[in-house]
Amino acid sequence: MRRLAARLLQSLIVVVIVTTISFFVIHAAPGDPFAYDSANITQAVREHWRHQFGYDRPLLEQYARYVVSVLHGQLGYSFQYGEPVTVAIRDAVPRTLLLAGLSLGLSFLIGITVGVLQAVHRDGWFDRASSAVLLVFYSLPDFWLALSALMLFAYVWRVLPPGHIVDPVMHDYMSGWAALADRLKHMILPVGSLTLLTTAGIARYQRAAMLDILPADYVRTARAKGLPERRVVWRHALRTALTPLVTMLGVLFPAILGGALFVERVFSWPGMGSLAANAIGARDYDLVTATVVVGSIMVVVGNFLADILQMLLDPRIRE
Amino acid sequence: MNSAPRKNVARRLLAHSTGRWAVGVIVLMILAAIVGPHLMPYSGIEQLDIVRLKNSPPSWAHPFGTDQYSRDVLARVLRGARISLAISTLSVLISITIGTAYGLVAGYAGGATDAALMRLLDGFISIPRIFLLIAVLSLWNPVPLTALILLLGATGWFTVSRLVRAETLTARTQDYVQAARALGASDVRILWRHLLPNVATPVLVAATLGVANVIALETGLSYLGLGAREPTPSWGSIFLDGVDFFAGNWWVVLFPGIAIIGTVLAFNVLGDALRDVLDPRQLHGTPMTEAAPSMTESNPHG
Amino acid sequence: MRNSPPSHHRGRSLLLAGALAALSACTSKETPVGGGATGGTVVIDAPSDPSTLFPPLISEEVGRWIQDLVFDRLAQIGPTMVTVGDKGFTPELAKAWTWAPDSLSIAFSIDPRARWHDGQPVTAKDVRYSFQLFTDPKVGSSSASTLTNVDSVSVRDSLTAVVWFKKRSPEQFYDAVYQIIVMPEHVYGKVPMDQLRTSPVTRTPIGSGRFRFSKWDVGQRIELLADTANYRGRAKLDRLLIVPADPQTQVARVLSGEADVMEAFPSDQTAKLDSSKVAAAVIWPTLGYAFIGMNLHAGATSAPHPIFGDARVRRALSMAVDRQAMLTNVFGKLGLLSHGPFAAGFGLADTTIQLPPFDTTAAKALLDSAGWKAATPGAIRTKNGKPLQFAVMAPSSSVPRRQYAVLIQAALRRVGAQVDIQIVDPRSVMYPKMNSGDFDAVINAFNPDPSITGTAQYWATGAAPPNGQNYLRYANRDVDALLDSAAKSFDPAKAKQYASRAYKDIAADAPAIWLYDYVLVNAVNRRIDTAPFRVDGWWVNLPDWSIPQDKRIERDRIGLAPAKP
Repeated sequence: MRRLAARLLQSLIVVVIVTTISFFVIHAAPGDPFAYDSANITQAVREHWRHQFGYDRPLLEQYARYVVSVLHGQLGYSFQYGEPVTVAIRDAVPRTLLLAGLSLGLSFLIGITVGVLQAVHRDGWFDRASSAVLLVFYSLPDFWLALSALMLFAYVWRVLPPGHIVDPVMHDYMSGWAALADRLKHMILPVGSLTLLTTAGIARYQRAAMLDILPADYVRTARAKGLPERRVVWRHALRTALTPLVTMLGVLFPAILGGALFVERVFSWPGMGSLAANAIGARDYDLVTATVVVGSIMVVVGNFLADILQMLLDPRIRE
Repeated sequence: MNSAPRKNVARRLLAHSTGRWAVGVIVLMILAAIVGPHLMPYSGIEQLDIVRLKNSPPSWAHPFGTDQYSRDVLARVLRGARISLAISTLSVLISITIGTAYGLVAGYAGGATDAALMRLLDGFISIPRIFLLIAVLSLWNPVPLTALILLLGATGWFTVSRLVRAETLTARTQDYVQAARALGASDVRILWRHLLPNVATPVLVAATLGVANVIALETGLSYLGLGAREPTPSWGSIFLDGVDFFAGNWWVVLFPGIAIIGTVLAFNVLGDALRDVLDPRQLHGTPMTEAAPSMTESNPHG
Repeated sequence: MRNSPPSHHRGRSLLLAGALAALSACTSKETPVGGGATGGTVVIDAPSDPSTLFPPLISEEVGRWIQDLVFDRLAQIGPTMVTVGDKGFTPELAKAWTWAPDSLSIAFSIDPRARWHDGQPVTAKDVRYSFQLFTDPKVGSSSASTLTNVDSVSVRDSLTAVVWFKKRSPEQFYDAVYQIIVMPEHVYGKVPMDQLRTSPVTRTPIGSGRFRFSKWDVGQRIELLADTANYRGRAKLDRLLIVPADPQTQVARVLSGEADVMEAFPSDQTAKLDSSKVAAAVIWPTLGYAFIGMNLHAGATSAPHPIFGDARVRRALSMAVDRQAMLTNVFGKLGLLSHGPFAAGFGLADTTIQLPPFDTTAAKALLDSAGWKAATPGAIRTKNGKPLQFAVMAPSSSVPRRQYAVLIQAALRRVGAQVDIQIVDPRSVMYPKMNSGDFDAVINAFNPDPSITGTAQYWATGAAPPNGQNYLRYANRDVDALLDSAAKSFDPAKAKQYASRAYKDIAADAPAIWLYDYVLVNAVNRRIDTAPFRVDGWWVNLPDWSIPQDKRIERDRIGLAPAKP
C-alpha cells in the first residue's frame, strides 16, 4: 500500500515535469496565433485579443496561469476549432486509446506467444523463420507499413475501407448491426498495422527474456520433480518472464503512441495523433501543448497501472 | 571486468551467421556514401532536363530513373547515404554521450540524487518522442540540419542512461571499486577508469540499434514534411517525393525504400549480433529489465 | 472588390465568357433544363477544413464554397460576367431595384418569399446589419476596404433597403451587391461585434441559400442539405458532404469513387482521368495567376531590400528562369504561361506585353553589372561581402507552388544565387509574414475579380497592407494614375488602353517573375450531371447538379431523412 502511494506521488511529479517541459518548449516557439491573415484587423484589435488570452504576459506568468487553469481542468482555448481545448480533444482521446489499447493487447498476446514458442523450440525452424520475419517488420518505418497496407487492401484489392473511423457518408444512416460492422471494418487496418509494428518489438524482447529464465534453477527443479515440460514452461517461466515485460510497458506506452501518430495520419483516424499534426500546422499553441501533455499523461497513467499489475503478478515485489 | 579482447570480438562477429552479413551491408553502405557521389556523373541535386527527363523510368543512363524534377535517383540515393548516415551517427553519438554521463552520475551518486535524476528521467521518457519532435520541428520551422541532429540526439538518450545507471549500480559495489576508493582515487577517476569501460558494451549495442532507429525516424519525419529540406537528399525526403506520386513511378519509391530498410535491418542485425558476441554473461547477469533489448532506443516508433 | 486572398479561386471576366463557355462545354455535361427527380449525395474533397464559416471572416476557399451555397447576395452576376452597371446582373434576394436619379443610391426590394433557414423572413434590416458586419473594424473583415464607396444602408420599409454611395462609379452596383453577403440580424446580432470572431454562433451558419447547413464534424466532414422550401427552388441534390483530405489521398479517392469531386487534380496526371471509368476531367479556367513576388523593401522597414531593391537584379533573376520549361514540368500540357499581373482570360488582359526573355548569359552579365560578382565561376555571387542568398516562401497547401520552389532553386543556383526554400502553413505563417513585410520572396497567387480595381487591390501604392494586398509594397505613381483612370472609365475600350499601359509599366519594373495562369482541372464522378462551371467559382452552380435515376449508387438513395443518433 505504501509503495502504491509512493508510486502515485511519483507519477504526479512526472506529470508536473512533463507539463512544464511541454509548455516551455512550445510557447517559446516563434509565431503568434493572432497574426491572422486579414490585413484589415488593426494592431489595436490584435493586441486586444492577445491580452484577452494572456499572450502578452511574460512566459513565466503565462506558465503560472496555465498550471492554474490545468488544475481547474481547463487546457486552454483552441483557435482552430473555436472551442476549449478539452472539448476539442474530448473525442479524439478515446479514439487513440481504442487504437493503441487494442493494438497493445493484441501485440502482447501475439508477441508473448511467439516469444515463448521461440524460446521453447530454440534454434528450430520456427524460431529462425519468425525471428527473421519479425526483424524485417521491426525495421520498417512505421508509416511505410501502414501505407503499404492501405494501398494493398484498400486500393489494389478493394477489400477494406481506405481510412477513417467510420464510413464518412453512410454511417449515420446505418442500423445497429450494420453500424457496428462498419466500425469493425474500419478498425482492421489501423489496428492491424499498429499491432504488427509493436508485436515485432515485443516478441524480440520476450525471446531474450525467456532465454534467461529457462536455465534458471527453479525451472530445473520443477522439471526434476517430474512435471510435464509444457506446464513447466508455460506456468512458471511465463509468469516470471511477464514481470520484466510488464516493466517494459513503461517504455512501450510512449512508443505505441508514437506509432499511433503515423498510423492515424495514414488512415485518417481522427485521434490524438491527427489532432496533434493539424494543430501544429495551424500554430494552435494551446492545443499543441495539450496533445503533448495529454499524451504524456496517458503514458504515466499506463505506467501506474502497469506497476499495479506488476505487484499483483510477482509476489516477491509485494513484500 | 573488461569485454573480450578486440581482435577476438571482430573474429567472432564475422563468424556469426547473421552478423557478418550485417557488417557487409553496412560497410557497403558506408563505402557507397563516401565514394559513390564521386563516381556519379550527376550530383543528384542538379535538375537535368525538367521537360524531357521528368519521371523517366530506369535506363542505362539512369539506372534508378529520374524523379519529378529530373534529378538522377541513383545519385540522390548515394548522396542520401551520406546524409542519412551522418544524421543518424551524429545524433546517436550525442545521445550516448548525454545518456552515459547521466547514467553514470545517477548510478554512482545513488541515494537522493539518483532518485531525483530518475524521476526527472521518467518525465522525459513519458513524453512520446515523436510528439515532441514534431512540435518543435514545426513550430520552429524551418530547422537547419544541425538543429535537427541536435534535437534527435537530445531526445534519444533516455534508455541509454537507464542502462548505464543499472550497470553502474552493480559495478560500484564491486571490490575493485571499493579498493580504488579506499586508496583515495577521486570520483572522476573512478568513473572514468573503472566504471566507464563496464558500460561500454551495452552502450555499443544500444548505439548500433539507435542508428537503425534514427534512420527510420528521420524517414518518418520526412513523411510528415519535417525532415531534411530541399535540395538535401536524405533518404527520407527522396522517399517522400516518391510517395507523392506512388501510383506509377515505382522507382522513386523502391530504391530509396530498399536503401532505408536494408540499412535499418543491417544495423538491427548488427546490434543483435554484437549482443551475442560481446561476453553474453556480462549482459545477462544484470537485471533483466536493463539488459534485454529495451524498447525505446531500438524502437522506431518512439 | 472583394479582397480575394490567393488560396481560393474566384474571378470574373468581362469578355472571357464566350471563350470559356466554349471550352468548358467540350468537357462538362450540361444539365437538361427542368431535369429529373431530386436526390443524390455528392462527396467533395476539400484541401482543408475551413477555419470559420462566418462570411465576413472567410478567407480560404473551402469557406467560400459553403458561403456561396448557404448564403445569398442581393443580386447575382449574370452569365455575361459584366461588372459595369447593373445590366449584367440577375435578381437573387432582391427581386428588383431602383436607381435614384443622381445615382447616389439604389433601393432594393427584397423578395417577399425569401426565408432564412430557421424560417424567419428576410428583411431590409438584415441588409443593413450585413453591411455593418462587413465594414465594422471590430469584426475585421477583409472586405471592408472594398466597400469604401458605400456610405451606408438604410431601411425604407421592411422589404426595401436603400444603399447609399459616396460617389458614382462604373462598378458601384457590383460593389454593393457582390461584396455584401446578406446575413440574419436576429441570429448574429445577438452577439457583440468584437466577440463574433470567437463566438460559437459563427460555426452554425444560417442563411437563405438553396443549401442549408446541417452539421460540421471538425476535421471529418461538413454536411449541407437541400433547403426544400427555398424561394428559388430547392437544390436538386439532397446533400453535399465536404470532406478534408490531403492531395494524394484525394487522387486515390476520386479515382476509386469514394469522392465525387476533387478540385485541382494534378494537371500532369490527367491521363489517369481520361482512361478512368469512374471520374472525368472538367477544366475550370479562372482569373488567377501565380508569380514569385520579390519584397521590394528590407523586411518591415521602408529601406530598399538589399537584393531586390535593385531593378537590374530583379530583371536578371527573371531572365534566369525558363518559365516555359518549368510550366511543362509541373502542369504537363495543360499549363498556361503567365503574361503579367493578370490571367490571359481577364477582360483587360494584354498578352502582347514583352516580359524578360529566358537568357542565362544576359542574366549573369546583368548581375555582374549590378555589382553581384562570383569569385569563381559557379560560386554564389557576393556584393560587399554579402552573398546573393534569400529565402523563398511557398504555401504547404499548394502542390504546384511547392514544385516551382524546387525548380526555381535549381535555376537560380545556376546563375549564382542561393535560394532557401521555406514551405510554410499559409494561414499561420505565410500571410502574417506577407502582411508585415517580413519575407524575401514568396510564391504567391492572386485571384482577382474581373474588374480593374482588382488589379489596384494588389498593385497600387495605397494598397499596401493593411489597406490592401500589395504585399510586395510595389509603389509606382504612374501605375496608380493609370489604374485609377481605367477604373473611372465608363468606356471599356479606353479602360483597356489605360490598363495595358499600367501592365507594361509593372512588367518593366519586374517586381515579380510571372509564372502561370490558374487553369484547374477538376475531377468529377462520371455519374453526375454537372451544371456549367462559372469562372467565379465552379461550385456556384452546385444547386443545379443532379444524378440521373439509373446511375444512382447507395449513398444517393439516403434521402433527406435525419441521421440516426
